[in-house]
Amino acid sequence: MTKEDRRRQDAGDQRDPAWRRDFPLTSHGEEEVTRREFVRYLTLGSAGLAVSSVGLAAWTTLRQPAMRRPLEIVAVDEVPVGGEYLFSYPTENDPAILIRPGEDELRAFSQRCTHLACVVIWEAGTDEFVCPCHNGYFDARDGRVLAGPPERPLNSIDLEVREGVVWAVGGGGH
Amino acid sequence: MAPRRQAERTAPAIVGIFVLVLISLQIFLLTVGLEAFITFNAGLAWATASTSVVLAACAAFLYRYLRGPMR
Repeated sequence: MTKEDRRRQDAGDQRDPAWRRDFPLTSHGEEEVTRREFVRYLTLGSAGLAVSSVGLAAWTTLRQPAMRRPLEIVAVDEVPVGGEYLFSYPTENDPAILIRPGEDELRAFSQRCTHLACVVIWEAGTDEFVCPCHNGYFDARDGRVLAGPPERPLNSIDLEVREGVVWAVGGGGH
Repeated sequence: MAPRRQAERTAPAIVGIFVLVLISLQIFLLTVGLEAFITFNAGLAWATASTSVVLAACAAFLYRYLRGPMR
């Protein structure tokens, strides 16, 4: 920028018409417009993030009724003592596991590890769920974390036995 | 350089930094919202969404401030 350019700018914008700011004659004027446009795009990005958050919250709310939907799982006689049965609850994309540690004992949990969503395996001998990905261990009685990187317990699924058939009636998810 | 011209050059940069900080917070809130989505926690999801909307409103206010004195 030459001295003449600088002097002309410093002499006052009030002398220049408003349109002169939108169509600057100097490179300095071009820079100002560029920075302002950059802030405009940042503001648009911020609005986009806010809209995404609201959409995510709405989707979460719409998914919640599935958490309480009753679902018929399997007949009690089809699950041997010390055995397990795999099913999906509350949605098709949520793997779950029904275990029968004892004759009159039935428990169900989400099969997704709370660390990074790997599928957990039930070890009947120790009555624990094991995540083979990062060696996470969960107590099969209440789903609490025993060891490893997971920080949240496994989600338990509420069960009811109706006329010899096991039903899932709530809970689950990740 | 006249003080007014100097202010007109630095204001967009300062506002831009503020908006970048707000966007960083919003990205963090988005991860919290995703965590709430995975765990079916609607309360937490709406709390993060509300905070994100407030931050976006602050960014919009800063941008309007930038447009106002610069015209």
